[in-house]
Amino acid sequence: MTRPMLWGAAGGTLMILAAVPWIASPTLIQFGISTLLLATLAQSWNIIGGYAGYASFGNSVFYGLGSYGTAIAMVQWHLPFGVGLALGAVLAVAFAVLLGLLVLRLRGHYFAIATLALAEVMIAIFSNLDIAGRNIGLVLPLLRGDALFYEMSLGLLALSTLAIAWIARSRFGFGLISIRENEEAAAVMGVNTTLYKVLAFALSGFFCALAGGIHAYWITFLDPVSAFDIGLNVKMIIMSVFGGPGSILGPVVGAVLLSGVSEILSTEISSLAGLFFGVVIVTAVVFMPRGLADLGRRYKKVGWHYFADNVRAHRL
Amino acid sequence: MPSSILAVRGLTKRFEGLVALSDLSFELERGEILGLIGPNGAGKTTLVSVISGTLRPDDGELTFEDHNLKHLPAYRRARLGIARTFQITRPFPGLTVLDNVAVGALFGTGAGTRELPRARALAHEKLDFVGLAHRADQRADALGGPDRKRLELAKSLAMSPQLLLLDEVMAGLTLVEIESVIAIIRRVREQGVSILIIEHVMKAIKSLSDRLLVLHHGQKIADGAPQQVLDDPQVVEAYLGRRRT
Amino acid sequence: MSLLGQILVNGILLGGLYALMALGLALVWGVLNIVNLAHGALIMLGAYVCYYLFTELNLDPFAALPLTMLTLFVFGYLLQRFVLNLVIRAPMFNTLLITFGIDVVLTYLAQISFSADYRTINPTYAGSNFALFGATVPTVRLLAFVVALALTCLLWLFLARTRLGRAIRATAQNLVAARLYGVEPRRIYALTFGLGAALAGAAGGLYGVVSQVNPYIGGSLTAKSFAIAIIGGLENPLGVVVGGLFLGIVESLTSLYIGPTYADVASFGILVLVLIVRPTGLLGRTT
Repeated sequence: MTRPMLWGAAGGTLMILAAVPWIASPTLIQFGISTLLLATLAQSWNIIGGYAGYASFGNSVFYGLGSYGTAIAMVQWHLPFGVGLALGAVLAVAFAVLLGLLVLRLRGHYFAIATLALAEVMIAIFSNLDIAGRNIGLVLPLLRGDALFYEMSLGLLALSTLAIAWIARSRFGFGLISIRENEEAAAVMGVNTTLYKVLAFALSGFFCALAGGIHAYWITFLDPVSAFDIGLNVKMIIMSVFGGPGSILGPVVGAVLLSGVSEILSTEISSLAGLFFGVVIVTAVVFMPRGLADLGRRYKKVGWHYFADNVRAHRL
Repeated sequence: MPSSILAVRGLTKRFEGLVALSDLSFELERGEILGLIGPNGAGKTTLVSVISGTLRPDDGELTFEDHNLKHLPAYRRARLGIARTFQITRPFPGLTVLDNVAVGALFGTGAGTRELPRARALAHEKLDFVGLAHRADQRADALGGPDRKRLELAKSLAMSPQLLLLDEVMAGLTLVEIESVIAIIRRVREQGVSILIIEHVMKAIKSLSDRLLVLHHGQKIADGAPQQVLDDPQVVEAYLGRRRT
Repeated sequence: MSLLGQILVNGILLGGLYALMALGLALVWGVLNIVNLAHGALIMLGAYVCYYLFTELNLDPFAALPLTMLTLFVFGYLLQRFVLNLVIRAPMFNTLLITFGIDVVLTYLAQISFSADYRTINPTYAGSNFALFGATVPTVRLLAFVVALALTCLLWLFLARTRLGRAIRATAQNLVAARLYGVEPRRIYALTFGLGAALAGAAGGLYGVVSQVNPYIGGSLTAKSFAIAIIGGLENPLGVVVGGLFLGIVESLTSLYIGPTYADVASFGILVLVLIVRPTGLLGRTT
């Protein structure tokens, strides 16, 4: 497909998706909002985890900060939603920069654990803040009309995907990829690794925060445990990795597929949905660790052998 | 403008319990090929790592083209024009050979470019230069040993460096390949690049170097014209040990 | 005894249990380089095994510990040999993901099998107290502390003095060399993981006696075990003990002087600080 055709296809898909609230049932619209937000989160993780190669368990921190920023602005200071959203985003980005400088120096799994610990700290801190409603949380004003939230979520997903599309063919993106592939070599070749990592972290945090703000306003309720939910962070990682980290659409596909199947199972037997998720993760990590994007690319050449090859390469 | 492009004075680097570099001083002239030899563990790679910024020295002065390198991080030194190859090659495994080199063009000194298509074009030129153009679209981790060395070289050249630090680029090559790499290095010098080359292949380094520097236990034990240095009894002893009568 | 003294004693007793919790995690991390996000789930399973041995077979929980450990050992061995082994040479991130998946599966299986109700293991002596240096200590906590410390010493002796223990340490340090010496890595890996699971199981049984259990405790116990292992330092086996005691005391002090809801802030805050300032932990060497 040529470039103009790709843009045309993308635009067309977007318009069809935007029309959904007028043709679908309320349940489907709600499912849509959840999935769109999850897809955005998966894309945001993609920036720091997929492209830069730093597996962050701290994106839930930015999500929570975005949620709380919006909620506090609207509930305590009676500011409009837009301002609250902006506030949440600023808070998250500031945090990302500060934290990033401290924590992005750490190697692989130490970075993951540090960000995991941060999420736990956040839950504990916000449970003790009066302005945040302590561990009872906050209740936001109600806005009727899922259609509006749907369009906002769709817009946010489109924005984050565009950001990734830009990254993928920019000097910045090449810098991130080189950091992921071999950080020391990248540094001696002239890549300002600290700056780039912090920027990636901040960008990632930005989108997470916006998603958090929209979500908080949509469900009108917020408490520390659900705002900084680490399970959410793991979900975004799973979706991004399952779809294909370091690709432009992989995380979106991963999010849609996994959400969809999980939703279908949920309506059948709810605890089995969670179980299914776990089994999918285990199977996917064993047989297709580089995600659907890589599977799609290599399947044409090697067919079913793709799965056996992965196992053979990684087992003892 | 001083005639030396790199000046090292009193450089010392210690690791836990081991002195890797000890009060080392020397200069690299502009446009010169300086060979660096010495037995294993003499501190040669450590020296290259300290110059390129991967390691911090404990003491000493490092001056490159009037710039004091002391507090500059590695990427700033690259921007100034210092490039290095790694002894154990460090390709970007998930990227194609072409894109590996393109990173150098995008980030090295300002002489490169910020546009991706232009960077890829420059990368192609460098791959041609080192004779790796036929592998441009392969993944870097699919390359064999000798090709990986060429890739290291191409990546550094794409940065448009003024100073090139080569760390055993000829290890594991056949005689024919060695001749080819010698020719490439000579052409690089003709383009005005100053070179510090670490090598164990004596024939190669003897024919390439204008001057030889010998390191042993982190100290300079000889510095001068190649034949003179290689005949120096101290150097012979460092490599072969004391003659027993 | 002063209130501070009582708190310190509480903290130390808690610390002993914490150390045992983190021991299995640190062992598996050091030998197999697996960061096991399902560790807390193994502790949870150990608690349930011990619970059912207590309620169904009327076994005293401390007497049931060996059987609990054996059950978890077998489970861990099989899990490593047939599932985790498939990704052991993959990038470490993959083991993070797969152990997370296993954690999800185990939690949901537990929820389906045992229901979400809280359980406690209540032997007849559960309410009695012991006077220790002037402080009042629940008997079960004191017993748990003693058992925890005993198991830690046993593990240390096992690794230092037995042939199998040395084989495990050799494999941890240099897989290729160990293989050349005739060590069969798959067996060693599975054995080590089984051992880690057994220790987690013991910690779970003890946890069930001193606190409440439900299928969801795994997550925070994993996080806490990480904190202990890292704060103490992974290089030195004594590190886990130091980390556990340190955290136990810090949490007790924080609960008293700042407030019980801040205990987690303290533990995880210290973890972040340690990672930033001294990643090798309190006992590690600074590189």
